[in-house]
Amino acid sequence: MRSQNEFSYGGDASVKRPELNQEISDQDWDNFVYNRKSLRGKHLELWQHISGCRQWIKVERDTGTHEIFNTYKADEASS
Amino acid sequence: MSQNFRLENVGFINRDKKLSFKFNGKKYFGYEGDTLASALLANGVHLVGRSFKYHRPRGFFGAGVDEPYAVVQLYRNNETEPNVKATEQELFEGLEAKSVNCWPSVNFDIGAINNFLKIFLPAGFYYKTFMWPKSFWYRIYEPFIRKAAGLGVVSTKHDKERYEHKYEYCDLLIAGSGPSGLASAYAAAKNGASVILAEDKPRFGGTLLTSDVNIGNQSGEDWANSIISELKEMPNVTVKNRSQVFGYYDHNMLVMSEKVSDHLPKTKKYHPKQRLWYIRAKEVLISSGSIERPIVFGNNDTPGVMLSSAAKEYLKVYGVLVGKNPLVFTNNDSGYETAIEFKKNGINAIVLDSRVNPQSEIIDEAINLGIKIKFSYVVVAAQGYKKVNSADISKISDDKKQLGTIENIKCDCICVSGFWTPTIHLASQSGNKTQFKEEIDAFVPGVTKQNETTLGAANGVFTLEETLKSSFSAGQDLSKKITNNDNKISFPNVVEKKSSQHDKFWCVPLPKGKSYKRFLDFQNDVAVSDIEIALKEGYRSIEHVKRYTTLGMATDQGKTSNLNGLQLVSDIENKVVPSVGHTTFRPPYTPISIGAIVGREVGKHSKPTRKSPMHSWHEKHNAVFVDAGVWLRPRYYKNGNETLFEASKREAKNVRTNVGVCDVTTLGKIDIKGPDAAELLNRVYTNAWLKLPVGKARYGVMLREDGIVMDDGTTTRISENHYHMTTTTAQAANVLSHLEYYLQLVWPELNVNVVSTTEQWAGAAIAGPKSRKLLQKLFPDIDVSNEGLPFMGYMKSDLFGAKARIFRISFSGELAYEINVESDNGNFMWEKIIEMGEEFKIQPYGTEALSTLRIEMGHVAGSELDGRTIPYDTSLEGLVSKKKDFIGKRSLERKAFTANDRQKIVGVVPLDKKTSIPEGSHLVKDAQAQLPNKKLGHISASCWSVEHDNPFSLAILKDGKNMIGEKLFVMSPLKNKIIPVEIVSSHYVDPKGERVRS
Amino acid sequence: MQNYSIFNLIKNAFTNHQNWDLAWKDPTPKKEYDVVIIGGGGHGLATAYYLAKEHNITNVAIIEKGWIGGGNVGRNTTIIRSNYMHDENALFSEFGMNLWRKMSQDLNYNVMFSPRGIINLAHSDAQMNAYARRGNSMRLNGIDAVLLNREQVKEIIPMADFSENVRFPIFGGLMQPSAGTARHDAVAWGYARQADSMGVDIIQNCEVTGFDLSAGKIKGIRTSRGDIKVKKVGLCVAGSTNILAEKLNMTLPIETHLLQACVSEPVKPVLDRVVTFGAGHFYISQSDKGEMVMGGDLDGYNSYAQRGNLPTLQHVLTEGIAMMPFLSKLKMLRTWGGIMDMSMDGSPIIDKTHIDGLYLNCGWCYGGFKATPASGWTFAHTIAQDRVHELNAGFSLNRFSTGHLIDEKGLGTKTWIS
Repeated sequence: MRSQNEFSYGGDASVKRPELNQEISDQDWDNFVYNRKSLRGKHLELWQHISGCRQWIKVERDTGTHEIFNTYKADEASS
Repeated sequence: MSQNFRLENVGFINRDKKLSFKFNGKKYFGYEGDTLASALLANGVHLVGRSFKYHRPRGFFGAGVDEPYAVVQLYRNNETEPNVKATEQELFEGLEAKSVNCWPSVNFDIGAINNFLKIFLPAGFYYKTFMWPKSFWYRIYEPFIRKAAGLGVVSTKHDKERYEHKYEYCDLLIAGSGPSGLASAYAAAKNGASVILAEDKPRFGGTLLTSDVNIGNQSGEDWANSIISELKEMPNVTVKNRSQVFGYYDHNMLVMSEKVSDHLPKTKKYHPKQRLWYIRAKEVLISSGSIERPIVFGNNDTPGVMLSSAAKEYLKVYGVLVGKNPLVFTNNDSGYETAIEFKKNGINAIVLDSRVNPQSEIIDEAINLGIKIKFSYVVVAAQGYKKVNSADISKISDDKKQLGTIENIKCDCICVSGFWTPTIHLASQSGNKTQFKEEIDAFVPGVTKQNETTLGAANGVFTLEETLKSSFSAGQDLSKKITNNDNKISFPNVVEKKSSQHDKFWCVPLPKGKSYKRFLDFQNDVAVSDIEIALKEGYRSIEHVKRYTTLGMATDQGKTSNLNGLQLVSDIENKVVPSVGHTTFRPPYTPISIGAIVGREVGKHSKPTRKSPMHSWHEKHNAVFVDAGVWLRPRYYKNGNETLFEASKREAKNVRTNVGVCDVTTLGKIDIKGPDAAELLNRVYTNAWLKLPVGKARYGVMLREDGIVMDDGTTTRISENHYHMTTTTAQAANVLSHLEYYLQLVWPELNVNVVSTTEQWAGAAIAGPKSRKLLQKLFPDIDVSNEGLPFMGYMKSDLFGAKARIFRISFSGELAYEINVESDNGNFMWEKIIEMGEEFKIQPYGTEALSTLRIEMGHVAGSELDGRTIPYDTSLEGLVSKKKDFIGKRSLERKAFTANDRQKIVGVVPLDKKTSIPEGSHLVKDAQAQLPNKKLGHISASCWSVEHDNPFSLAILKDGKNMIGEKLFVMSPLKNKIIPVEIVSSHYVDPKGERVRS
Repeated sequence: MQNYSIFNLIKNAFTNHQNWDLAWKDPTPKKEYDVVIIGGGGHGLATAYYLAKEHNITNVAIIEKGWIGGGNVGRNTTIIRSNYMHDENALFSEFGMNLWRKMSQDLNYNVMFSPRGIINLAHSDAQMNAYARRGNSMRLNGIDAVLLNREQVKEIIPMADFSENVRFPIFGGLMQPSAGTARHDAVAWGYARQADSMGVDIIQNCEVTGFDLSAGKIKGIRTSRGDIKVKKVGLCVAGSTNILAEKLNMTLPIETHLLQACVSEPVKPVLDRVVTFGAGHFYISQSDKGEMVMGGDLDGYNSYAQRGNLPTLQHVLTEGIAMMPFLSKLKMLRTWGGIMDMSMDGSPIIDKTHIDGLYLNCGWCYGGFKATPASGWTFAHTIAQDRVHELNAGFSLNRFSTGHLIDEKGLGTKTWIS
């Protein structure tokens, strides 16, 4: 178990960057850059072990209680 | 003065060690093992302070962390500390303390006039007045109120004490060393679990030290001592006294503050005053016990009124009588224990019990001892101003609504017991939803939220046998889960007296025609009438009541007042207590020193300081440093009496005419390797990167996804699949994270690795017309001609044996090179450059000259790339590829970003060619216009152009591209300046960029 | 309504304060309102007040899930200022400053607004220049600002670290003398009392569970205390914005984050100003009670828990001691957390929405308290007139699509970095 201090937050992990070189509607682009659901409850989010191995990981965490349910590697599918 | 109230043979103090101390300037004696409170009480001193609002006399109410009154100013080791609880401060030789919040003295306090005005000062009175005339609030009323408020005095001197942090992991953390803490610690320790047992007091044992019980044929105290001795010997156990677990945070992280030196006259060298422990525990056992709650009656704040358990603790632990003619007022059996202890020491207490006809072993014992008991009796009001001298008492009806005839009886203290409130703070902080337990009229923890288990009195269990049983088994079971050991412990035989039911009675009604203040919150002077007013006015949520009346918001955090406040609200509102609900428990449980929370990161160590390998050379050569993030960089090298302006001008001029050298180690450096490295760069930067040849560098700009410029820098292709990226000093860490984000999460298919090499390379930029000659001297074996090493070229070489990289890049706009060597060779490189450069009149230059050089060239830096500008704004749109996609490109299409009159970087020259333009000024059309005056743009950077010998600035100006040649005004109202200026091109020197290519 | 004054206070003293009126009533919700404001926080209460006072719309209900003033208006560090660089924020806030200056008299409730001044400390010339840019902008917008050099700062706050042993020496600072503090709860209660007296229904312990829409128009709301028909709805729920937006199928440029603050034990007056640290994120003032009120960075992850963790506070207090070393000797008494509606450029949104009759007020980040009056005033205008006022025209929802961002800090969309 590592200290919270070693990690840096990276936001909502469910946000997918649109593919390069594709036509993107204004709405889709805004949804990617700006709009967030940010709800109470289970939240899949990104953290980077910035003062450690520098891996980005995905964390499933409760935004109401801060309970952590699961963690996934960057390339691992989250279920 | 002698210790008139000290018993001869009772207590755990060390009578062989007499200690002298001063309180309010007067000298007293106590013993080692005393608290300041017990020592004062031994000397018969009860008056220690004044209350917050009415400045009423205040004495001691408790004997520990729950103390609402006895807050003093402490003097220790030539430092002064405000708001120390006398009940927690251990006595040491030479201790000095003073009362707070009273003037001129605790005995005669002018502020006590508020006590007579109290009918005009009900809850929230300040919201209803002090509004006229309008300006008086801030000028007259408020300063007066501010002066009257506050408790102790804080010195603004720097704190000389040292505080430390410690990080620990354990299987079981046990908070509290009373019976449940000891039993569970013992069971878990015997099972091989790693255990931390924390006790906030100096002595272990909790209530075992003061209660008349027997465990395994030993007294409670002896049993506690034997368990503690055994635990201390076990390697898997850490036992800590003077240590308060004050916060239960996420993921079973708990924080404990250990008072290492507060009980000593001064902190030993290299020792901390306090130590903060961050403890990550697999299981947390909360054995924090309970706090006795008062019964509310008239003038119940008079010195001499105190908790019955506190009176017992002063007697049994410290051998101190809180009075010689005590009255005990109780609604349960606990009061009898105090009366019995008095009796055993020859003091006759009278017990008033609100219950009608209670029966229990302990009452029988009291009767047998000849203690005078009055059932169905209550204290109506305490009498006496600075000390209790008598009590008005009365019979009370069975429904507790009617008082009988008031009688007055003499007494010198009133010991109150209104039953027990479990200390549930830690469980609640963990997220546990507490529940109200009718049988004890108090809240207990509900369903476990994190890995916490609450035991004993903290869980509402008040019999010793049940406490020990549940605690042994909790320690056993929880440790078994972790260690898989199963060492059974035989349960000791327990002898204790059985208690009868307490009386659900907590507030004595007011007798007819009397308006005694009946206090709930003793420090903040919140009385029953205040709560009534709040409710009457519609402040009905418990949070509204708390905020409107300040109930429970004093430094004791409502430990003795909150539950009675709730009872009152539920009575008046005709609701049950649980539906009123309690206010939220938040850390810290008790006030914690900010020094301890911060630890060692103070002064120069508050943030790390990063220095380049050449730092000591700079120091030796009179560099004046500037903070660049956490780096220190030479700002200029001071020659004699030179000012910053003179020095930077000299340094910059020398670059333009001869050659200068600048330490560029702080620039971020990132090594990028892999077959897809070029593709990554092509996606990250706005310009094209796929065709950059090996041995060439290129300038690039990268955007955030929102289209704003994130950073700029040059990247060099070292070999086929190997690139060296540089970033600005400020953005180095962000850029690395940015690349890692895209590589790991967005484009994992790219086969690229990135790593920071900022620390691996020391960098020196040599710039100026003579830099090539210098370079040739430094590297005699390579061809440094314009053909051999053209602009944006790169070479590997060897600097007198040191591996070196040479980049022909320029920030100053002059012919320039940047040399990198491994950090260990940085100083060697630097000294070689200085040595070889002497014949070319080399001078080192700092960041100030560097700024001058880049500004007059129109090169952008952090003050233009301020997180609000797009490439167009800084005239970098030429680097934005139209053909390929890259990070943030889509955002550049937005309306505001493509507007015709979009802001753009320009140059600004004062019309008089003399007046320097302050940075941060704004450009306006009409300097005399009415406010708000429309701003057209701002000055981002200013310098004295060494080339033109006049001031020159860069500005980001609305519609900048069409403004060249316009005359505007620069305004700096802050500096009272209006400067007529002309807008020119941002490229003030060498606009075609010929020098860098020469 | 009873007038609050020293005379009435004395008069009531003789009846033992038994005759004070309710500050606000506790009505049951009616079946229908002209306007419902969701959220009984400072902004919601102020909006209702200005709807009644400025627009004569009184068939209004405030629907509050918990108790009024229980959100950020009761959990902030009480700082009031208009020291903004961008015109949109500056002019809006300065309009608000004028409302603050007369609020106690306007509401007949002492909100204890004290113009004690705020000083932003600078620790480098570059920072001095950035502050000059902001300060000059303020001055050109008619807002008071003074640039202080090191000696001037030392004169005003000698307890800051001017010693040799300092990591980031103080170069100077930007001061707004007319900025200050106010008693936060009183603001909510004062607005509530006046709104109530003008006929607004303040409905507490009532949760909005859904919305009735028809043909792109709002028709009503569903609540835990029954359905309510309504012509216009103002959403004013700060940290709960995302939750209600989801019920409306809206995704907003808002993230919900946790900000902690703490107070020390009360001590005698030592600090008369509001001061912010320039080499990090820390701010402090001393309350009338004597407590040092302190805050700083967000905890830095999406959260609805009104509880934070100690490492963040440790970090904040480390900066506090770096700025004022004497704080080390004080004890931390209380900590708490608030839920912030962090917008993607750090500036608020006060606008109409694509739903007819639904108005949005959110994105206050950690600057909501000072905006209370101006937010209420402009939101009331927007609702009453069905069009934005020029003061909140810049705070549009679509500015993210058009690129008309108002980014005071230049930090972009990483709302958790403060």
